[in-house]
Amino acid sequence: MSRANRKETIISAGIDIGTSTTKMIISEFTLVNTAGVSHVPRIEIIDKVILYRSPIFQTPLLDGGTHLNMPAIHEIVHGEYEKAGIASSAIRTGAVIITGESATKENAAEMIHDLASEAGEFLVATAGPDLEGIIAAKGSGAYDYSIATGQCVANIDIGGGTANLAVYKAGKLCGTCTLHVGGRLIQFQDNVVTHVSKPVMQWARTRGINNVDMAHVDALLEEMVRTLVLALQGSQELQHHPFLLGHVPDWSDEVEVIMFSGGVSECLYYSDRCDGHYNDIGVKLAQKLKESPALARWQRVTPTETVRATVLGAGTQTTEISGATIQVSPDVLPLKNLPVHRFHFPNGQIDEQIVRKEMEQAGALYDPLAEGNLFALFLSGLGVLRFKDIQQLAVWLVDSLHHTVHDALPIVIVVANDLAKVLGQCIQAIVPHRPVICIDQISIDNGDYLDIGSMLQSEVVPVVVKTLAFHK
Amino acid sequence: MDRTLIEKVTSMVLEELKVEQHSASVKPPASMRMVKIYNNLNTKPTFGEVTDTTRSDEEAIEEPTFYSTVASPKNKEKLLENQEKTPARIGIGRAGVRPKTNALLKFRLDHAAAVDAVYGKVTEDLLSRMKWFSVQTSTETQEEYIRRPDLGRKLNEDSKKLIESQCEKNPQVQIVISDGLSSEAIEQNAEDVYLSLSQSLNQLGFQTGTPFFVKNGRVAVMDEIGELLQPDVIILLIGERPGLISAESLSAYICYQPRKGTIEADRMVVSNIHRGGIPPAEAGAYLGNVIKKVLTFKASGVSLLQKEK
Repeated sequence: MSRANRKETIISAGIDIGTSTTKMIISEFTLVNTAGVSHVPRIEIIDKVILYRSPIFQTPLLDGGTHLNMPAIHEIVHGEYEKAGIASSAIRTGAVIITGESATKENAAEMIHDLASEAGEFLVATAGPDLEGIIAAKGSGAYDYSIATGQCVANIDIGGGTANLAVYKAGKLCGTCTLHVGGRLIQFQDNVVTHVSKPVMQWARTRGINNVDMAHVDALLEEMVRTLVLALQGSQELQHHPFLLGHVPDWSDEVEVIMFSGGVSECLYYSDRCDGHYNDIGVKLAQKLKESPALARWQRVTPTETVRATVLGAGTQTTEISGATIQVSPDVLPLKNLPVHRFHFPNGQIDEQIVRKEMEQAGALYDPLAEGNLFALFLSGLGVLRFKDIQQLAVWLVDSLHHTVHDALPIVIVVANDLAKVLGQCIQAIVPHRPVICIDQISIDNGDYLDIGSMLQSEVVPVVVKTLAFHK
Repeated sequence: MDRTLIEKVTSMVLEELKVEQHSASVKPPASMRMVKIYNNLNTKPTFGEVTDTTRSDEEAIEEPTFYSTVASPKNKEKLLENQEKTPARIGIGRAGVRPKTNALLKFRLDHAAAVDAVYGKVTEDLLSRMKWFSVQTSTETQEEYIRRPDLGRKLNEDSKKLIESQCEKNPQVQIVISDGLSSEAIEQNAEDVYLSLSQSLNQLGFQTGTPFFVKNGRVAVMDEIGELLQPDVIILLIGERPGLISAESLSAYICYQPRKGTIEADRMVVSNIHRGGIPPAEAGAYLGNVIKKVLTFKASGVSLLQKEK
């Protein structure tokens, strides 16, 4: 109540290291208590303002393209902070995302963890093709468009290495799919092919082609468009296609609207900004997409962001704010890269069997040697519980944790419903000296790792739910 | 109010229920939400005569659900999404210029629940389970309580003596529970709020006094209790005036050193505590922190806001 109308602002950064380009943005979030004076506070992000957009940099590589050039990337990031007039210590949240073929580089994981820990107080590292698509769809405006119209919108983010599809209907994620379709899969110099990516080679071999040259480009582009159309139709035919990365399309809704984002889309919507200086097939791919009769069946909507969709999504759409009534031991935050284990209670009530079974599984998965690897417990499906049930749940949780996690480690629990503070206090009552982090009103649907930031003035914590899967 | 109409609707509901129950031919499980049928509306509104508010029928039956919506919405998903966001009666459709039968029945049911909550009693079972002794304000009857807010702010003489003899003096925090305008709010939520609040206060290291229940209390009854027991803080868990959305919503009023002459601006409230609002157990855990703030700044309400600046 005393926090009514008091505003707090935090600075967020987004950094996208893509196959061909690297870019960043800095934005400012305004947090405010939106609950009425006599209500329990509800802290929400009510405004996001972009403070700075970097130019588009070519992603610096080393060793013939097998490694990311870490010092050069650091230099770009710090140079941009300076231009924006923001100290890295002022960055309170945001994400570094590594996308497309950059995620296959040998030092990809090292690169983003390093950058995340060094370039901002709570800048988190994330990766993984599904999340790329989701973040891009939020940055491009496809997600908002689906909410505004209630339609089923597919965002197709085509960069240098991959095309990431995310399908949203009325703001609900229907599914994702990732294809090896991108501008940089073939590079050339003076009409001579200088680089062909692995998936393209694989496809070429199925056609009996051993040396890919410029004459094959058109057929390749046709194939790329064909796979994209199949994907949009949700076709399971793609199962063994060399262009499929990961799983087949997993949505059942009919796509009504398509939106393109990513570097290639820049050429699709704004051909004047497209000079082909990358010496790759990006421009030609955009042309093909534009003219394809097969793609014409879907209504096409222009995105609000093209090449910067992913970085915008990473900078402004990854952070969630916890509920305002939470129980945290402040000294142990921030916590990063916690794997999440889900405890689902299907009938809304607490259940000892579920707690014990899931805890055992969680221990075996994330801390098999009992070395004290931290993991977070996500409790979902619970209804409004009586105090005695919450107390009982706390007893089971602490007791079963005792066998898996080292006693001095913090207990980290995320609850979908509004009961974190009471559950946290019930746990604290059992283990008074052990740090407890118990937060709520966070949904962990699309991701399996969790970062929890330090407590803000508004007594909430920023949370990022993410994946950390690097492409193989 | 048109009594024949009400009776007609009520009998319709009951008929419908009988049919439903008959066709299902199974007893509803005990865990189901129950609705009790009372005879509150047929009390005689004659002044000067003691009104009979005893429950004529305490048998609980399963609460019927009346779902009503626009017949053919243009965008069904959007409508459902909006309906999920609010308990208000939106997109319920209409039959000509009138509400649909289901919408009307739902309205009647919610109204009846609100009336029940005002006229209901907090059960002895709850009070003895929680070991809360019970005192009474200066009001003699429920009717008087409703008509005379001033009497609901004063304890009767026996109650004052009881409080003085039973309660610990000068506690840091005194917890008081009162039915106020909704006994249902106490029945449904008070136990969870109280247990969770006690745990929270205990963890914060605050010493609490002897809790008790005030029948027919108004918020400002805490001033007189403050005079008697001289606590630093009183937290009063009291039933809110029932509405058509919820008849069981609880409020927690907090005041630093309430005494005779305390002004309303120095009281603060956390309202909307019930299953559909802030869950009772979570509210209790949060209230501990509010009390901590009050004790730290030695002020509540507007005075607290000023000191915090």
